[in-house]
Amino acid sequence: MLPALVTLLMGLVLGYLAQRSRICFIGGLRDFILVRDTELVKGAITFFLTAWLAFSAANALGLTDLRAPALQSKDAPASVPAAVAPAATGLNAIFPELTSRLASTKASLWVMTILAGIGLGLFSTLANGCPTRQHVLAAQGLRDARFYLVGFYLGVVVSYLVTKPLLAFYMYTKGIW
Amino acid sequence: MKLQLKRMRPSAITYGVVAGLLAVGVQVFLGVRPPPAYGICMACHSRDVINWIVNHLVGTRWEIAPVSVTLPLLTTVGLFIGASVAARRNGEYRRLSLGRRGRNLVYGILVMNAAILAIGCPTRLLLLGAYGEVQGLVGIAGLIAGIVAGTLLLKKGVVD
Repeated sequence: MLPALVTLLMGLVLGYLAQRSRICFIGGLRDFILVRDTELVKGAITFFLTAWLAFSAANALGLTDLRAPALQSKDAPASVPAAVAPAATGLNAIFPELTSRLASTKASLWVMTILAGIGLGLFSTLANGCPTRQHVLAAQGLRDARFYLVGFYLGVVVSYLVTKPLLAFYMYTKGIW
Repeated sequence: MKLQLKRMRPSAITYGVVAGLLAVGVQVFLGVRPPPAYGICMACHSRDVINWIVNHLVGTRWEIAPVSVTLPLLTTVGLFIGASVAARRNGEYRRLSLGRRGRNLVYGILVMNAAILAIGCPTRLLLLGAYGEVQGLVGIAGLIAGIVAGTLLLKKGVVD
């Protein structure tokens, strides 16, 4: 019950700010390439830096454990106990566990994430905005954005009925999985 | 106070700071977990809502994040309402159509499918990257490549 309510309230704040600031994480890079406008891309960079600093601070204060994997993997290595974990140096000083995560990530997952990321960026650019911006545009009365949202939510059903079974079948026949 | 809120025109940087703090804050202090780095995601939270409804109606067992099992996260709904309020209060609500309905419907489906495979919308990819998750960083690299490609296509006039 509570997380749903918390995110609803958080959404209200974010929606208000997003409408006022015209934020779009996709549009930031697009505007920079097209007209060298850095306003929106600064928003995306600030979001990343703020989240990184906040995660690091929470980790340092013991409020969260960054060594816990964020994504469930079928063969995730058991988390190394803090006592025997090597001292964080190099990349691991910036992101704890980064090198071991790099080493344990399968090649097929790399390829799929890269391809899906490219598709996400490409289609979002062509659709004229990231999902957040499309929600804001739809709320502002743009009919086309409302159709985008219909497709967006319909896309979940398409994904679980069509895309994922097809992908699983392809990976199975190729023996990747 | 009312006047101030009306005139407010926050910069993108303000949004970035507030969203970054909220995304981490709701996870750390308000229990929006597991999984970690799940504070804001337009795609995953939408997926949780749709799959929760479908599972309850038809009895399927489509994937839902553990935090969304009892009630799905309502970020997208809140964001839509918040943006509506902001647009109406500031006189920016306009019924408008650019004649791209069918195309946008298809783009919506494609973006959601790509987002589910990439484990998140652009916002969550940045959040995962900030958490130090490799897949998030890899996804961001792909995302940037995709945006560059899309922008070049727009620039050359291949698509409009």
